Amino acid sequence: MKKDDKAIDAARYRLNEIENDLVGELAAGRIGRREFLRHGAVLGLSVPFLSSLAGAFGLTAVAPRMARAAAAGGLIRVACTVPAGAVDPVTVDDNGGLLMLHQTGEFLSISGPDLVLRPHLAESWKPNGDGTVWTFKIRQGVKFQNGKTMTAEDVAASIDRLADPKNSSNALSAFKGVLSKGGAKKVDDDTVEFHLDTANGNFPYLVSSDNYNAIIIPADYAGDFEKTFIGTGPFKLDKYTPKVGASFVRNPDYWGPKAVPDRTEWSFYQNMQAMVLALQGNQVDIVSQVSAVGGEALLNDPSFQIISEKTSSHQQVHMRCDMAPFDDKRVRQAVALCLDRKQMVQGLFSGRSDIGNDSPFAPVFPSTDKSVPQREKDIAKAKQLLADAGHANGFTVKLTTEQYLEIPDYAVIIQNAVKAIGITIELNVEAQDAYYGKAVFGSSDWLDSVMGITDYGHRGVPNVFLNAPLKSDGTWNSAHFKNKDYDALVAQYIVASDLGTQRAVAKKIQELLLDETPVIFGYFYHYLTPAKKNVTGVPPVANRLFLSQAALT
Amino acid sequence: MSMQAADTAPAPAAPARTGGAGRERLRLLLRSGTFLAGAAIVAFWVACALFGSDVVPQDPYAVDLMSKLQAPSPDHWFGTDRLGRDIFARVIVGARDILTIAPLATVLGTVLGTTLGLIMGYFRGFIDEAISRLIEAVLALPLVIVALLALVALGTSYITVILVIGLIFTPLIARTVRSAVLTERGLDYVAAARLRGENPFYIMFIEILPNVVPPILVESTVRLGYAIFTVATLSFIGFGIQPPSADWGLAISDSYGLINGGYWWTVLFDALAIASLVVGVNLVADGVQGVFET
Repeated sequence: MKKDDKAIDAARYRLNEIENDLVGELAAGRIGRREFLRHGAVLGLSVPFLSSLAGAFGLTAVAPRMARAAAAGGLIRVACTVPAGAVDPVTVDDNGGLLMLHQTGEFLSISGPDLVLRPHLAESWKPNGDGTVWTFKIRQGVKFQNGKTMTAEDVAASIDRLADPKNSSNALSAFKGVLSKGGAKKVDDDTVEFHLDTANGNFPYLVSSDNYNAIIIPADYAGDFEKTFIGTGPFKLDKYTPKVGASFVRNPDYWGPKAVPDRTEWSFYQNMQAMVLALQGNQVDIVSQVSAVGGEALLNDPSFQIISEKTSSHQQVHMRCDMAPFDDKRVRQAVALCLDRKQMVQGLFSGRSDIGNDSPFAPVFPSTDKSVPQREKDIAKAKQLLADAGHANGFTVKLTTEQYLEIPDYAVIIQNAVKAIGITIELNVEAQDAYYGKAVFGSSDWLDSVMGITDYGHRGVPNVFLNAPLKSDGTWNSAHFKNKDYDALVAQYIVASDLGTQRAVAKKIQELLLDETPVIFGYFYHYLTPAKKNVTGVPPVANRLFLSQAALT
Repeated sequence: MSMQAADTAPAPAAPARTGGAGRERLRLLLRSGTFLAGAAIVAFWVACALFGSDVVPQDPYAVDLMSKLQAPSPDHWFGTDRLGRDIFARVIVGARDILTIAPLATVLGTVLGTTLGLIMGYFRGFIDEAISRLIEAVLALPLVIVALLALVALGTSYITVILVIGLIFTPLIARTVRSAVLTERGLDYVAAARLRGENPFYIMFIEILPNVVPPILVESTVRLGYAIFTVATLSFIGFGIQPPSADWGLAISDSYGLINGGYWWTVLFDALAIASLVVGVNLVADGVQGVFET
């Protein structure tokens, strides 16, 4: 398609400096259409406007196949992992729990499979000049399932509750250093302002579906979510039985398109193999997630479909930087050099993952600098580093981790790989609730173990991955990595509004983390949701299962 | 006169102190087809546990991701698992963990249960009543649930699995030993030992214990079968042996979802191994029971 300079000039005339910078990135070919839509949406530009502007550059999307409208009715049965603890929007930190939250709760915006933010309970958003204040226009006419109207006050209170350190909020992983208690303010009935601690170019992601705790609940919420599952969503609670399952029914007063299924039933399973058998045995229609490892029976079976999405989901291998033997970065580098990442991606995942380069900058992020050299397996160099660090004869160390997806297999692979340089790893694989413990330092194997592997769900931007597990004061800093240069670089990255600056800072962060290696990022796996062939209307969104348009044809 | 006669008469001897009965039982055991068949199976797995890692053609722990889930072939007799490890080598070596944990747990349970049973049966009265009620309460709880709770509280390791299974078996063995001791304590050789002024622990462990060995032996061999099954069950539900052990229960747990996908070999051989070992131990138990009850 031909470039339309006239339309481009007209559009650019209406845009501010940051927005024009983004258009400049597209014009220079440094980003593609997808990244342009994605970053433009963060800045508050509408997706139709961004699409037409990309079209003016000759970049058009392939027209999506129109899904046949499904007839209302029916039951959708889902298998997912048992929520590790009480389902509460403030404290949930596990996959089973977060899947429950958004069955009845909704977010201000939704990060779709293309990582583009789309308005939901917020109709639009806009930053101020320096990105320190973000103003959200809230959708009107939305009701909670108890009949009460959702207001800007509910939105401000929901986010404020998550930003309050007194609440042991899991969302502090996203908000710490970004948004403090009191920063979310109701301006009028349909406007909320977020006054940030520092400028943040990606803030809308932090209050979107990307931050799974950030569902909007009533301002007077009293902490009894499991009784009501109160929210504004297309389903409302029918029944919830801890450790067993849940069922939801259509919310007839929903503000948007009504849910297609009459009812959804969720069964909780302890492990993936049981879920696989449940789908094969026709006990469920969908399994929320399987790993490419262990899920082969479904992935290679043509009688099932796999709803798949490339993601930033990964397993972090942390090594305590403040404890021997990992207090010497050469030891950490040596361990990382033992892994054959290409073989893991091809052999373990059958290609259903992307190679990691020991930083959270996944290939799906537009800001990732792909010119940073990939770390390759190099046993000779690893041996040398270990000898230089005074461990020529190796050592024995305990690796503690969780029974979740392919993590135990990953642990065995690492254990096998480091034998080559004389390191003996003893494995301690625990149930998820035992591994996470109280999720605070001193009472959690996850945060206290000298070496461990932890699952990290998908995010649309790397901010949470950069902050919580790696910053000196990070709430999830299981590596106990404290590096002032790193902290300063992350602050620069978060402030940056334009993609060019973000990528430049990202390069420095990637290089620093490659050198320090507090955490091994071996791969970023694709999110795989197996379903029966006749299931339609389930969008591929990692760590989320939106069932309102799901149907059995 | 009669008092003098009593003083000079020889004290009744404990019946099991003669070696003839033992030899006769051994001869009967060696002529028992049931026992010999079971012993052969158990001996095979014991040999695998002891020498398996020296004779298997491939390293059972070597990961080869590019060869994962290969069907049985001349290169891999039992195929490969999802990490590309040779299943034949893992089944052979996998005997080691289960044949370390299950017998040790059984020995622990037998030692503690025997001690408890001797105390209950010998002292009777309040001690017997109190311990019996406690045992009944413990036995009312499902075995695997108790094991799970204990493993969650103590954490999973070889030692904790041995301790947990051993302690769970203790009341079962104690009840059997108590019944046997109740019969023995009324016999003359026990009364004679008391008259000689022997202390209760001497009477229990030196006089009575040798005479209650047969029921203990039978109970222990039966328990060994259950111990093997319990270890496999705990591994299967993720509370037993840690990876990368080649333990059979763990292997089944890791792979049972693959069966319907056509990867039957990832589960079949480990399941057959458990079944054969349990059958072998039960045949031995049947043989022992048959001989001691004749």
